[in-house]
Amino acid sequence: MSPILAINGLSKQFGGVTALAGVDLAIEEGEILGVVGPNGSGKTTLFNVVTGVHRPSGGTVLFRGQDITGLKPHAISRAGIGYTFQQAMAFAGLGVLENVRIAGEHVGTDSTANPWPTPQALLDFVGLSAVANEKAGVLPFGSLRLLGLALALATRPSLLLLDEPAAGLNDRETTALVGLVRQLPGHGISVCVIDHDMKLMQMLCRRLAVLDFGSKISDGPTEAVLADPKVLEVYLGGDL
Amino acid sequence: MTEGLHQDRAGCGLKALRSLLPVLVILALIALVPLFSPSNRFLSLAISAGINVIALYGLSVLFGQTGILSMGHAALVGVGAYAAAILARDFGVGFWAALPAAALASAAFAMIVGIPSLRVGGHHFVIMTFAFGQLLAIVLTNGGDYTGAATGLDLAGPVTLFGADMSDLTRYYLMVVAFVTTAAVASWAIINSSYGRTLRAIRENEKLAASLGINVGRHKIGAFVVSGIFAGISGVLLAYFLGHISPSQFSSFPSIYLALMVMIGGARLIEGPLAGGILVAFLPEVLNLDPVQSRIVYGVCLIAVIMLLPDGLIGGVVRALRAALSGKPKPETQQRNATPSEARR
Repeated sequence: MSPILAINGLSKQFGGVTALAGVDLAIEEGEILGVVGPNGSGKTTLFNVVTGVHRPSGGTVLFRGQDITGLKPHAISRAGIGYTFQQAMAFAGLGVLENVRIAGEHVGTDSTANPWPTPQALLDFVGLSAVANEKAGVLPFGSLRLLGLALALATRPSLLLLDEPAAGLNDRETTALVGLVRQLPGHGISVCVIDHDMKLMQMLCRRLAVLDFGSKISDGPTEAVLADPKVLEVYLGGDL
Repeated sequence: MTEGLHQDRAGCGLKALRSLLPVLVILALIALVPLFSPSNRFLSLAISAGINVIALYGLSVLFGQTGILSMGHAALVGVGAYAAAILARDFGVGFWAALPAAALASAAFAMIVGIPSLRVGGHHFVIMTFAFGQLLAIVLTNGGDYTGAATGLDLAGPVTLFGADMSDLTRYYLMVVAFVTTAAVASWAIINSSYGRTLRAIRENEKLAASLGINVGRHKIGAFVVSGIFAGISGVLLAYFLGHISPSQFSSFPSIYLALMVMIGGARLIEGPLAGGILVAFLPEVLNLDPVQSRIVYGVCLIAVIMLLPDGLIGGVVRALRAALSGKPKPETQQRNATPSEARR
């Protein structure tokens, strides 16, 4: 089967700094892929280039066989790729329900069946129905993260990119998030998680890709990648 | 499940209708004012205020919903006014035909200004609109006979409705009240539509809005164009009311006044533009201030509103009433911390 997202030779230079040096990466239909790497390894740049925040210096991104390289962020979303940010999670000044409603109103045309036909159903799924009428800005941090996930899901993506989804969450909240994300492939949503939290990645992903200095140094089943001498060297001194 | 959605939609619609009701009641009362045989001076002031309020409803869509502040809004009113005067002079076009034409002209001008200006963010847009406003005044002043240069243009056409002459002050007053009502309802309809939600999303967080499939740039220009339609109609009413227009009416000071009115009244609430327009028009009259004194008072008012009442006067009154009714201390500090984007405004 052809991958849902195929990244070929993707590179990005900021002035003289090479943030991505020709990365090849395929996300298969129905999987939860983890992209890991130490700080500054190019994870967030990869995320930003794929989601259209930055234009790539070279290479292509194919989504379901179609070239989406260099599309604007809103066009990427409409094409069927949902994504969440580390910081910007929800519209703080608006109601929780209004947040989700907005997110569902700019869906692209060729979206498939929707597992959550109403904003309420989506809030049920992430467990925020009780606060539907609150302002998003008064929610505790963990709930905000879940709302961010709900917003991305409301765009009815077939691929979801999560940038450090568990950052700032406690163990209980992380477990709840992992439980939700694990259900997504069952709803026809492939997932790519970008993070450096190995514990989270081991819980979520059967396959890992490792970035270091803008290049992919390892890619395969989680156990094999974690035993890879190259990966161990990168993380030497880290708690693997 | 679909049923639940419909119920929810109906509930929302009802709640939205309730928010419109106070404005309609106030406007109905305002329409009764001629019964108390007010002076001509009062009626003239009220008409000017009403004409401003129409532009303010457009500004509230732009500033209140989308979070973009235009400091050259009087220029858009001016485009409408000059379009009406030139159409009447060169083509014999009357009041009613001038309305859509002027609205279109102002909308087109907004688009021409908006496309380059909205590419740059926040504060730069304020400066760009200010510059375009000044530029328009300069162009009008140097337009020779076509724009009447610094003296401006005369407009002597009668305004008739179903054969009745509307030029009489009382009739013109009632017509302006009808236009204000239409503007209020149009603004309310925008606020409560999915388009209004889209604009609010952009106001709250552009990056997040884009990630959810919203074409931020296009919608920002769209909001500016929509505000231009309101301004254009306001301009036609102004030109036919005064019978004479000149460039200085549409330069920087009138623009600042419009921004000030919408901020003092409160840009996000449907009552805000109405309150701001009336207050700023009648304050010098009530307090018996000369122009210099009134400018000082407006300045102080603006600073006070920005510092104490971020939702404007009406927003502040509503909040105080709610706090008084529930008997609880208002959770203002908590909310401010939670929504930094609001507190900044």
